[in-house]
Amino acid sequence: MPLDPATVARWIEPLAKEPGEMADVLVERRREAVLLWRDGEVVETRLASTEALAARWQRGGQQRLAAVSRADESGLREALRELQVTLGRTSLPIREGKALSEEEEEPHPSVDRWRKRLAALLARNAPRHKLRWTLVEVARDVFPARGAPVSHTRRLFSLEGSFIAASRRGDETRTFSFHGPESDSLAEELRVWLVRAAEPREAPMTCPEGEVDAVLAGGCAAVLFHEILSHPLEAGAISPLSGLADARLAVAELEVRDDATRLDLFGGYECDDEGVRPRPVKLLDGGRLAARLTNRACAARMGREASNGHGRRAEPADPPLPRGSNLVVAVGSATREEMARRLGQGLWIEDFESGSVELSSGSFRLRFPRARRVRRGRLADELGPGTLAGEILPALKRIETGLGRQAHIYRSLGWCARGGQVVAVQGSAPDVLIRGLAVRSLA
Amino acid sequence: MTAERIGELLEARAPGAWEVYQKEGTSREIARSGAERRESSRREEGLAARWWDPAARFAAAGNAEELARAIPRAAEAASSPGEVPQWPRGTARPAAETGPLEPPPDVFEELARLVSAESRGQASLLELSVRQGRTVERVVNAAGLDVSWSTSVETGFAAAVGRHGTRACEARALFRWDQEPDLPALARRLSDRATLPLSEKSTPVERGEWLLDPSVAAALLAGLAPLFAGDGHLPWTGRGAILPPDISIVDDGTADAPFDGEGTRSRRVVVVERGALGARLHDLASARRAGAASTGHGVRRSYRTPPCRAPRRLFFETDQPVPPRELLASVRRGLFASALTAPLSCDLESDRYEAQFTGVAVVAGRALGPVGAARARGRLSELLRRVTALSSDRQFFPMPDPVGGATLLVERVSFD
Repeated sequence: MPLDPATVARWIEPLAKEPGEMADVLVERRREAVLLWRDGEVVETRLASTEALAARWQRGGQQRLAAVSRADESGLREALRELQVTLGRTSLPIREGKALSEEEEEPHPSVDRWRKRLAALLARNAPRHKLRWTLVEVARDVFPARGAPVSHTRRLFSLEGSFIAASRRGDETRTFSFHGPESDSLAEELRVWLVRAAEPREAPMTCPEGEVDAVLAGGCAAVLFHEILSHPLEAGAISPLSGLADARLAVAELEVRDDATRLDLFGGYECDDEGVRPRPVKLLDGGRLAARLTNRACAARMGREASNGHGRRAEPADPPLPRGSNLVVAVGSATREEMARRLGQGLWIEDFESGSVELSSGSFRLRFPRARRVRRGRLADELGPGTLAGEILPALKRIETGLGRQAHIYRSLGWCARGGQVVAVQGSAPDVLIRGLAVRSLA
Repeated sequence: MTAERIGELLEARAPGAWEVYQKEGTSREIARSGAERRESSRREEGLAARWWDPAARFAAAGNAEELARAIPRAAEAASSPGEVPQWPRGTARPAAETGPLEPPPDVFEELARLVSAESRGQASLLELSVRQGRTVERVVNAAGLDVSWSTSVETGFAAAVGRHGTRACEARALFRWDQEPDLPALARRLSDRATLPLSEKSTPVERGEWLLDPSVAAALLAGLAPLFAGDGHLPWTGRGAILPPDISIVDDGTADAPFDGEGTRSRRVVVVERGALGARLHDLASARRAGAASTGHGVRRSYRTPPCRAPRRLFFETDQPVPPRELLASVRRGLFASALTAPLSCDLESDRYEAQFTGVAVVAGRALGPVGAARARGRLSELLRRVTALSSDRQFFPMPDPVGGATLLVERVSFD
């Protein structure tokens, strides 16, 4: 925390003197390393080191924000002056602030170690590829006008792109996406994902169209719940779930929570971008609608005591919005075979490429790259890409009791965009059987 | 430390094979949503360096000192050799615009009134955010290039919701105003997208003419962009003309900036000339691979990422534009696609497209009634060959670079 907390406090406190006023300063230092891989070789290396600082004032629905791309005392003075001028307050004198010391920073983390690991992993499992590896280290300090400053750092690992898989119908290009917080066990997890992604497959048939029952397996149900629960329950969102507090919406077995404290997942954090430590928030408790995700302003408007730590900003220049983090679905007791047997006829889906929800109408859409047809409770034909669509309330009602007994972290889910702000998210879910969704082929 | 000093560091490391990019951006934004109002200001500075030693390297930082520290670290990782581009040359350092940046206009109430009027009270404006931005960019390179330029742009985002009984539908629109704010056009887009799907009527026309709103035509053109900024050849593009002979597709970024993100001078490039595929768009790297010259299409989305090959201002062009009313009047039986309800899918490899849209059924040049949801899909090559006319109402949409669409008439399209 190179800025002196006492100085920041002294300068920012006057902005939050009146009742109902809040103010804070967010400082971000971001270091990003990117390696572009082509068939086992690194063809380009990219490093970026950036910093930014934003000062914010808010009272009720009024908000002012000033951001600069430096994180030293000069930047702090500049942002606060801009804020004070727009608020008509006495502004800090123009004076050159103390610049950051020129001390040598730590080298970019782990780049060489990961380059060697990836070279070996890719050579064994996906030798022909076009992949982009990214390691981002984001360190954020939040100085609230009232309260102690907090700091946290996250290192996020992503491997995305495509590779050529040898398949029974010849070579085929498959997309690949894997996200996780950097840890010692991540390389092994990545290996397992690569092996699974490269498995030989039959030639896909065109996906049937119409109403379909489906098992969402391998953790990909997290994407469904991210769209139909996390987004509609972001405080302030108007959706079919508005005004349904405590209503029974799904089977009693279904318990879904948003858990930013799960630091083993991509969307986890120790404190949000308003300096609040997050709490796990039950979105659906025993099938009943439970809590909403809040930031400080929304919590105040809702008459709650405090934010539950979901005020998130994509960049310091963005305002903190109530956003989801890690979507976690509690496990049931069914085995994979039981799930397939209960499905009978339908689709077995293990991957979603993307998802979207239109909050006003509650309609959602999930795009899958492939699926398996299930006939008489057994996995049958390989199917091509398609979309699953439905509406929030009917979809929740049609989730069957008897969830899978094992939770799977869904590492393909990594980023979520709302209003142009992209934040890290992830999820973990057991296999889920849902009936009556509309499927369309994209072949 | 300055860009020149960074250049000296790079010359020692990669003689004759480096480039430095510098950017200073300021923006002001007003965002309104119901009773909430946010005013933001932002000032961003950054530098980026690219060099070949002989592997391709890139480093970016918020200031020159930090960049100087990042450069040796970026050179540490082992990489395979890359091809050094043919650097552009020249000097152009016009005086940059200075002075405080004015805040964008607060037009929430006016747009809310227009959306309500346009939708006959069925839709209301939820959110509007308008950003006024100004950027000064500079590129210097190992061949002595030193050019700088400044750009100003007004962009934004609006959302509206349409309601009918218990049903609701949301509309979202990104916009870009090159001149005065065009609020009526934005209100129409929001109103149509928010209210037409509420009719829940399916298409009464299974096959007929397809009239595309400029926003839908622009989405189609954006989907075609990889044809013009890619290296490969697709079987369906090699069979002669891809569009009728009176229609061309042009990319011309000169209206936005005199240079691209690599310092190459902007120019007009006809990528489809009278129906046939013409020149390709190149940045320095692709030009080097193709043995051609860069066409000024090295686009930088941020100083934190290297330039990429992309169109800068793509649009349809014709010698004989038809007024939109005449185009509508010429429709015997078909659908007017007013807005897309899902991202338009263009699979260039397999020559397929799919568009899900909302609009209006048209018979004998007159609107028959709204169509809540319809889908057109089939071969992209057929769709393009069946374009019969282009209107004069060209508008540009951020995708994210500006793409110009005009009302487009296509014959013999199947709907479901």
